[in-house]
Order: sequence, then structure tokens, then C-alpha cells
Amino acid sequence: MKRERIASSIGLVAAAAGGLAIFSVLVYAVLTAFKAPGEKMGAGASWWPAEWRWDNIARVFEAGNFDTYFLNSTIVGVSVTVLNVITCTAAGYSFSKFHYPGRNAGFILVIATLMIPLEVLYVPLYKLVFDLGWTDSFAGLIIPAATSAFGIFLMKQAIDSVPDELLEAARLDGAGPFRILVSVIVPSVSGTISALALFIFMTNWDSHLWPLLVASDDDYRTLPVGLAAMQSNQLGDTGIPVILMAALLAVLPTIALFLLLQKKFVEGIAMNAGIK
Amino acid sequence: MSSTRTMTVLPGRRARGARSLSRRSSLAGFLFAVPALALFALFAIYPAIQVFALAFFDYSLTSAPEFVGLKNFAYLSSDPRFLEATGQTLFYAIGTYGTALLLALMLAQVLSQKLFGAGFVRLLWFLPLATSWVAASIVWRVVLHPDGMLNELLGLDVQWLTSSAYARWALVIMSIWKETGFFLILFLAGMASLPQDVYEAARLDGAGAIRRFWSVTLPLLRPITLVCVIMAVLRGVQAFSPQKVLTNGAFGTEVINLFVYKTAFESARMGRASAVAVIMFIALLAIALVQIRALRRKD
Repeated sequence: MKRERIASSIGLVAAAAGGLAIFSVLVYAVLTAFKAPGEKMGAGASWWPAEWRWDNIARVFEAGNFDTYFLNSTIVGVSVTVLNVITCTAAGYSFSKFHYPGRNAGFILVIATLMIPLEVLYVPLYKLVFDLGWTDSFAGLIIPAATSAFGIFLMKQAIDSVPDELLEAARLDGAGPFRILVSVIVPSVSGTISALALFIFMTNWDSHLWPLLVASDDDYRTLPVGLAAMQSNQLGDTGIPVILMAALLAVLPTIALFLLLQKKFVEGIAMNAGIK
Repeated sequence: MSSTRTMTVLPGRRARGARSLSRRSSLAGFLFAVPALALFALFAIYPAIQVFALAFFDYSLTSAPEFVGLKNFAYLSSDPRFLEATGQTLFYAIGTYGTALLLALMLAQVLSQKLFGAGFVRLLWFLPLATSWVAASIVWRVVLHPDGMLNELLGLDVQWLTSSAYARWALVIMSIWKETGFFLILFLAGMASLPQDVYEAARLDGAGAIRRFWSVTLPLLRPITLVCVIMAVLRGVQAFSPQKVLTNGAFGTEVINLFVYKTAFESARMGRASAVAVIMFIALLAIALVQIRALRRKD
């Protein structure tokens, strides 16, 4: 027993050392982001900035349309999240609590698309969005992402566990299907809804390839696309602190959400893989 | 299921009214699925079908598609760039996800125990997941800079991102940093769901920690391992951002997804890009089936 405890302590120390190595990359990035442009890096140079340059934050906004990218990411992220919650909850309710011909076929079709990676779809998807005239528009960024197979699967599973007696009681009180959804189902599965919302928002904030295709106009670029563009415009070493600062500012919202809602975040990822 | 059960509870409501009510509510029920189904039909099913059609055409966005039969596939089969990208994707996926899976499994074994500080250590490993791929790539561009953190710590003078010998490794190192936490979450969730009494029994039988890991944890974890491996393959073949941001595919780092992107949108060969997508689709399906069989066989 004692030997085992020693072994797991050694394991924990190793895991902690690895964790600190992971974390040190972010510490290094934060410290470097506050350095003066062109301040010495590498062997012999200190990680600590010689002088903390808080004006690097202002220079991010001068260097490009960072505020536009940030606003676009927020608009797209919030819209996609709200639409996913609505469409996935409604579809999960439909697949879980109603009977109609084609229901199972519909559900299986949705689940089958889980296995198709974006790269298989995006060439014809781009053609479609192009034909619809939705390139360089919020519609092109938001609507193709407005629902998700994973979300529907997740909500169906959660709603399956809401007892039918609860629905029947509401029905006897004269509530219609929509009232039941809003006043019985949604409160019963609110925990799953918030995990789904967090997962969708974080994923969308990270989304790079599709916005890169759809939004070539600077006015519609989201943060990942805009950041990548800022980065290739600033290849010189003197730009390093500012582009690092931009990258860090871009992930500030998701890091804050993660630290505040770590449990929900972990739950969402585990559910994404179908492990509860 | 719901209506039949309540009908027997409430025999008095069984008459005509109830039946028409349930028919009405099944229509309403269908309507709830319509927004999602319409979006799927338009933005997933239709493109998935169309990609198979487009693969047999020569097509750029601006001109009319021209039927070319199997020419796209014939071209790809002898295109060194495509073959190179396939190999590069395998290298990246195995290097990154093989390592990340092993690391995550070992970490989960340690961090699933109730030890002081385990929660904090987990947080450190999860943190890269809260960063976006593009932002993380920019951070790593500096870390991998000749005067950056990695060379400094290792006392090396390696051109990580501008040499064919090292660029592919640089991408793997960065991606292990980014992805291990994801699989750690999955393994931890899986281990938490394992029945504890089996462990107690093994412990009472005198099985040591390593023995318990091999003969209790691993077999019980097989379904979760299967999920992790499938997820790893999907994530591996979808890699795009680090390659696009850090090297743009230069120095032997052009993976399939970047190849498709460049073929479709820089060379305007949408038919040929669709042909790659079709090959990917079939390959992924085959890989998933093989994985499911391999991991289920021992049951």
C-alpha cells in the first residue's frame, strides 16, 4: 500500500512537471507580448520584459482591423450558438418525444453526418454558398453552421431522460407541444443546453477554414482569419510582441469562459465524444 | 412510446378525440425537426452528394462544369504532390495523435486518483484547449523562432519552421501541446465511469497498480479507447490551421486538407479537389470500420 502511494506521488510529480511545461509556453507568450518591439530574445536574453509595454495593446488595434475581427467573431459566435441551441433542442425534442413516419430515418441520417469531416464537404458547400450570393456576408458565416449533428444527438439523449409523465401532466393542464417544450423540457435539460452552448461557442471561436473561404473581404473576417492575415503582414521580428498580443487578446474570452466554467467545458467535450 | 403508455392509464380518453390529438401532435412533432432537417439537407446532405458528382467534372467556379470521367482520379494517382500530402498527413496524424493518446492515457491514470493538487494539474493540461488553433499557432511561431523558447531551453540552434528536416516535427510538437488535454478529458471521463468494485476486488486479490492497469482498466476502457482513436483520426486528417499559419505547407508540411484548399481555391480546380474529398471519405470510412473491428475483436 505504501509503495503504491509513493508510485502515485511520483506519477503526480511527473504530470505536474508536464503541466508546468505546457503552461510555461503561455507564460512565455504573455511576457514576450509585453516586450518592446525588437527587444532581444533567445540565449542570454531575459524572458521578463526590460520595460512593460502596455501600449502594445493599443498597437494591436492600430495594426489592423482587430476591433472589426473581434466584433465579427462575437456576432457570428453568439448567433451560431443561439441558433444551434434552438434547432438542436427542437430537433432533439422531436426525435425523442414524437412519433411520425420517417422519424428514425431522419435521426440516423443526422447521426451519419457526424463522421463526415468538413474537408469532404467544403468544396461543394462553398459552391452552394457562392451560388446563393452569401460570400462576404454574415449569412454565409452563420447559416451553414446553424445546426449540428452532435447537438441534436446530445439533446435527444438528454430529453429521452425527461419522464413522459411530466409531459402528460402538462398536456392535461392544456399545454400544447410548444408550451411543453418551453416550460417542461427546457428547464429539465438546462444543464445539457448550457454545456452544448459553451461547446458550440468555443468551437466557433476557433473556426478558421470555413470563415477563410467565405469571408475574403476584411469587413467580414473573424478573429482566426484576421489574425492569420495580420501575422503574415508582420513577418519582421520587430512585430513579434504586437502579433503575440493580438493572439492573446483573441483568446482572452475563451480562456475566461474556460476558467469560469471548467466543469461545463469538460462535460461538453466528454459528451461530444459520447462519454458521459 | 409516451402516448401508448398514457392511453392505458387513461382509458376514458381513448376515443376519437385522443386519436386526432395524437395525429395533430405528431405533425407538430415533425415541425420541430424541420429547421434542423432543412439545414442538414441543404448544407450537409446536398454537398455530400454533390461532391461525388463534382469529382467527375473539371470545374472552376466561374466556368461551366465539363465532364471528364475518371481523369481527376487518374491525375491524382500519379501526382507526387498528392502522394506526398497523403504521407505527410499520416506522419502528422500518427506523430501527434499517437503521442497525445499515449500521454493522455498515462496522465489520466495518475490524475483520476484523488490526490492533492490533481485538479490543478489537470487544469494546466486543459488550458491549451481554450486557445484557438490560429492563436496557438502564432504563439508557437514565436516559441519555434530560431531565438525562441524551444531553442533557448534545449540549447539548440534549429531552424524549426524553415527547414525540411525539422518543420514536420515542429508541427507535431506544437500539436501534441494543443491536443493532449482533449484526450485527457475523454480518458478521465471514461475512467470515472468505470465500476469501482472491480478495482476493490482486484486490490483484495493482491493485484498491484500496474497489474490493475493492464488487466482491469485497459480492458474496461476499450470502448472509450475506440472513441478516442476514431476522434483522433478525424482530427488528424482535418488538420489545417497550424500548417496554414506556420508554414503554409512549405518544407514538406503540406497535409491533405491544405492540399484540397489550395487545389480548390488557389488553382481553382474544384473537380480535382472534390476527387480528393471522395478518396478521403472512402479512406475514412474504411479506417473507422477496421478500427471498430480491431478493438471489438477481443470482447
